Amino acid sequence: MASSSSSGLTFKLHPLVIVNISDHYTRVKSQMNPPPPTSATSNSNNSNGGENNQSPPRVYGCVIGVQRGRTVEIFNSFELLYDPSTHSLDRSFLEKKQELYKKVFPNFYVLGWYSTGNDAEESDMHIHKALMDVNESPVYVLLNPAINHAQKDLPVTIYESELHVIDGIPQLIFVRSSYTIETVEAERISVDHVAHLKPSGGSAATQLAAQLTGIHSAIKMLNSRIRVLHQYLVGMQKGDLPCENALLRQVSSLLRRLPATESEKFQDDFLTEYNDTLLVTYLATFTNCSSTMNDLVDKFNTAYDRHSRRGGRTAFI
Amino acid sequence: MDSAVAQKTWELENNILAAEAPDPSSDSIFHYDEVAQAKFLKDKPWANDPHFFKRVKISALALLKMVVHARSGGTIEVMGLMQGKTDGDAIIVMDAFALPVEGTETRVNAQADAYEYMVDYSQTNKQAGRLENVVGWYHSHPGYGCWLSGIDVSTQMLNQQFQEPFLAVVIDPTRTVSAGKVDIGAFRTYPEGYKPPDDHTSEYQTIPLNKIEDFGVHCKQYYALNITYFKSSLDSHLLDLLWNKYWVNTLSSSPLLGNGDYVAGQISDLAEKLEQAENQLIHSRIGPLGTSRKKEESQLAKITRDSSKITVEQVHGLMSQVLKNILFNSVGQQNRNEQPVSDPMIEA
Repeated sequence: MASSSSSGLTFKLHPLVIVNISDHYTRVKSQMNPPPPTSATSNSNNSNGGENNQSPPRVYGCVIGVQRGRTVEIFNSFELLYDPSTHSLDRSFLEKKQELYKKVFPNFYVLGWYSTGNDAEESDMHIHKALMDVNESPVYVLLNPAINHAQKDLPVTIYESELHVIDGIPQLIFVRSSYTIETVEAERISVDHVAHLKPSGGSAATQLAAQLTGIHSAIKMLNSRIRVLHQYLVGMQKGDLPCENALLRQVSSLLRRLPATESEKFQDDFLTEYNDTLLVTYLATFTNCSSTMNDLVDKFNTAYDRHSRRGGRTAFI
Repeated sequence: MDSAVAQKTWELENNILAAEAPDPSSDSIFHYDEVAQAKFLKDKPWANDPHFFKRVKISALALLKMVVHARSGGTIEVMGLMQGKTDGDAIIVMDAFALPVEGTETRVNAQADAYEYMVDYSQTNKQAGRLENVVGWYHSHPGYGCWLSGIDVSTQMLNQQFQEPFLAVVIDPTRTVSAGKVDIGAFRTYPEGYKPPDDHTSEYQTIPLNKIEDFGVHCKQYYALNITYFKSSLDSHLLDLLWNKYWVNTLSSSPLLGNGDYVAGQISDLAEKLEQAENQLIHSRIGPLGTSRKKEESQLAKITRDSSKITVEQVHGLMSQVLKNILFNSVGQQNRNEQPVSDPMIEA
């Protein structure tokens, strides 16, 4: 059911969608399994008791965004109602929500739907087909909410539907697609903020440390990725691993992209920027100096003025 | 990993709470207890104490949504509502949503259109399983800091009369991007005529000249609440994994280029303030030593602090540019190592 996609569309996913889905899931789960009441009186609507672990609920929702040419960018998402009897999503609810979101984000439209779970199921195809009249080729975003600390990859998969001929019958099946995470600067900063709980404010030293730590971790990551590739290539050279020409071509084209920019104009712009920053630093130091100077002069005046009030001696300029 | 050790050390030094990873049982904050909430609303413990609510807890999702929405407005103020609940002396914000209203600095209330939207949205949300009520509103001050303007204060006072418990949150998306950390403030107003018992000074922030009067007149009428953030266990897990993918963006972000306008505006604003300070300094000569002299001094000191802040941000931006240059442009000058790069960064 999940082979790799061949549609050639590139998907970009924003972290907001991931956090949205995760929040939806956590909410529904905690409403179903309410925590043990701390007070003496227990809640009346507590049908499960405290510790009853039901199977994790599946939540459903819709993802919205923009599609520009071959790039599909998923910006946001919202929840939808699922009717287990008919295995379909509540249509009127979807339309109502769509209207509301259109007012605030007029550029976005429905791109597909999401759900939680381990793997795509047969019943999902039903929902997928129903959504096809809103968007001819909807995407299906699946989040696996099981927390597995061993896995290194994001448990989010994006599926598209493709028409394949199986046993002579054309059928729609889900095919997996790859995606990249795309953020705007503000999104990145707030995700960073919540993920690492960095302190806001603080002296210049802590800010510098914060900035450098962030860049340091990013570079460390880059370094480890490079090492992995390097080891792989060395292995290929020794003959331990089978030679993969496609990969070699990619690596070689990447290598040719270095140095990233080497034009005259870049150097000029870069140096101009550098000089501008140095100028700003100079100005700030200057201001700092004059402020300190002013303080000094005032203190001097305060200390020595009394002795020479007569004689019309004026203060420093 | 060295970075993890460094981070933990630093967190300890800076007294950051919640250093331990939340386990699933701590997700209890997500549970909406209708009975307890209704009881709290009936009791109204805030009616007697204007300073009742002291803390705000914002969920990761709400923060993300608010910052993204604020940033998407560019230089136009945007506003929205926050949903959540209360917990003792803390207001908990679970979610936020945007309102289709623009530029509310000139309007006291959101228009009828927005009310309809609010009602529709709350209804659909309740159906979809989000049971919390509206506990506040947020809006953005792009580029001029987190504080309540005169209009904001009167709106909030009205809200606190009729829609308690209610919270006002202000976000500055421009400063967020420029400084690399989220610029956000949560406020509640004092009722009319109430004098706050102690004069606690909030964290200093620079206010542009054209807004400073508005700020000064009203700054005593409200107080700031302490903001902490929380996230669910699944959120933490996902965010950790997310880092594996978007370290690329950290490296490739170019704050210098994105904030050119803002920084230029800040510098010219500082220049005006300097001129004002200079005039005052010239005019007060020997005169009576004491308070008047101190005022100009502190103004000059303020200007110095502002200029340092701007410079620090600039230098940070330049640092990342230089680092990127070294990483990706100086390959030709090194020895020929076959070091493939996993993801090329393009100089912005």
